[in-house]
Amino acid sequence: MKKVVTMLLAGGRGERLYPLTRDRAKPAVPFGAIYRVIDFTLSNCINSEIRHIYILTQYKSTSLHRHIQSGWNILSPALGEFIEVIPAQQRIDEHWYRGTADAIFQNIYTLQHEKPDLVLILSGDHIYKMDYRKMIAYHLEKGADLTVASIRMDRNLSKEFGVMEVDREGRIKGFQEKPEEPRTIPEDPDGILASMGIYIFNTEILVRRLIEDARSDSNHDFGKDIIPAMIKKDRVFNFDFSQGDCGGQGYWKDVGTIDAYYEANMDLVAVIPQLNLYDPEWPILAHQQPYPPAKTVLLEEGRVGMAINSILSHGSIISGGSVKRSVLSPRVMVHSYAEVKDSILLSGVDVGRHAKIRKAIIDKDVQIPERMEIGYNLDEDAKRFTVTASGIVVVPKWIKL
Amino acid sequence: MKKILVVEDEEGLRLLYEEELETEGYEVITARNGKEAIQKLEEEKPDLIILDIVMPVMDGMEALGRIVGKDRKIPIILNSSYSGYREDFMSWVADAYVTKSSDLEELKAKVKELLEKGQTR
Repeated sequence: MKKVVTMLLAGGRGERLYPLTRDRAKPAVPFGAIYRVIDFTLSNCINSEIRHIYILTQYKSTSLHRHIQSGWNILSPALGEFIEVIPAQQRIDEHWYRGTADAIFQNIYTLQHEKPDLVLILSGDHIYKMDYRKMIAYHLEKGADLTVASIRMDRNLSKEFGVMEVDREGRIKGFQEKPEEPRTIPEDPDGILASMGIYIFNTEILVRRLIEDARSDSNHDFGKDIIPAMIKKDRVFNFDFSQGDCGGQGYWKDVGTIDAYYEANMDLVAVIPQLNLYDPEWPILAHQQPYPPAKTVLLEEGRVGMAINSILSHGSIISGGSVKRSVLSPRVMVHSYAEVKDSILLSGVDVGRHAKIRKAIIDKDVQIPERMEIGYNLDEDAKRFTVTASGIVVVPKWIKL
Repeated sequence: MKKILVVEDEEGLRLLYEEELETEGYEVITARNGKEAIQKLEEEKPDLIILDIVMPVMDGMEALGRIVGKDRKIPIILNSSYSGYREDFMSWVADAYVTKSSDLEELKAKVKELLEKGQTR
């Protein structure tokens, strides 16, 4: 069996997710009531029996560190397994990481220490379920130097992705980073093959290409520099996500904007969501505090505690208020006569009596006073909250209302 | 005149390299360890570095990373009595690896080759 080490890039600032990323890196942003974004990638690793994982962080990493320490302390060091967070150490360069490739190069001492056969490079920014073992098997079968996972996307999204051209054998022949005019899939002129930022490298080739890149003028980025250079001289193959997709729905989301984040959360309250969190074959692990079970109370005239088409988490009490089509994290209180709909309430949010919330994301521990309305007068809301063009109101953490 | 920075903790070797390379027509500056080398790199802007690996204060492997962090393109020759460091990923950052020998011909040839390559770059 080949020795695989995973390097999970978790340094993204997630600027388009502001204010959710005001105090945390993008991978640490809460998602789906009880998870953090990074939990999906880490669960994929564990379910794929990959247990040598380094998480490379740089910006605003405290929240992520805490999450990994308390929630992912599940492996056995005695068996050589680990999930280890490596902050940017400036051991080589006295700068932050300049690009994705630089982040790995700066940790070359770590690769040296482990000397794996293969390096699996992942990002902590995406929501999906994937069996990396299938991709590793494919990589070995093809005798590849590098394998890049891809998914079909609509061509009008090409500016957000690395777009690949592939021959009949699956070998990557062209790679354009975020092109305006993408090369489409031959039999599918409206589709492109988008890189998912998931790479498997033979370690020696990776190190040699990283060094060449580090010693040249470059953006030090896998998509912009390393892959385009490698397709000219090395064996670079495409792995089709559908071959390793454990959800079977082709679900892969970058929750990089407030709109995308909102939609992806809201999808979870569907009767049959695209992303199935209930599959015992592919559990998504999360850090769960031992809070008491959720409950709904009060059934009186005009004062009914209820939640419909919603996700509730432990520690929450819906007491005489109503919750519709919403996602509630742990320890959320909704008091009498309050109304919450089409919203995402993160941990510890308290909604006062008669308050009304619609199409909003309320960050951790925010206290909504009695009778306050959010989402009903966007001009008013925009004076103190972030309001997106699509009309989603984001109430930031720590705000006093 | 091309300027070469020799990083070597053994005084005898430092003098030998200095003499031999000056005879070849280079200007030679020296440092006793990696830390001094980084200082000299900034002050003297050499054209090429010959870097010993096992040194006190800061060893050559550690210095190698920092040198490249400051100057991506400067040619670097690792020069050690041990060949085992070739296995180290970090050693691949250097442009060449020459095992120490009483005969300096290989080292001189590498210096010449890398400086010529640098001119065409």
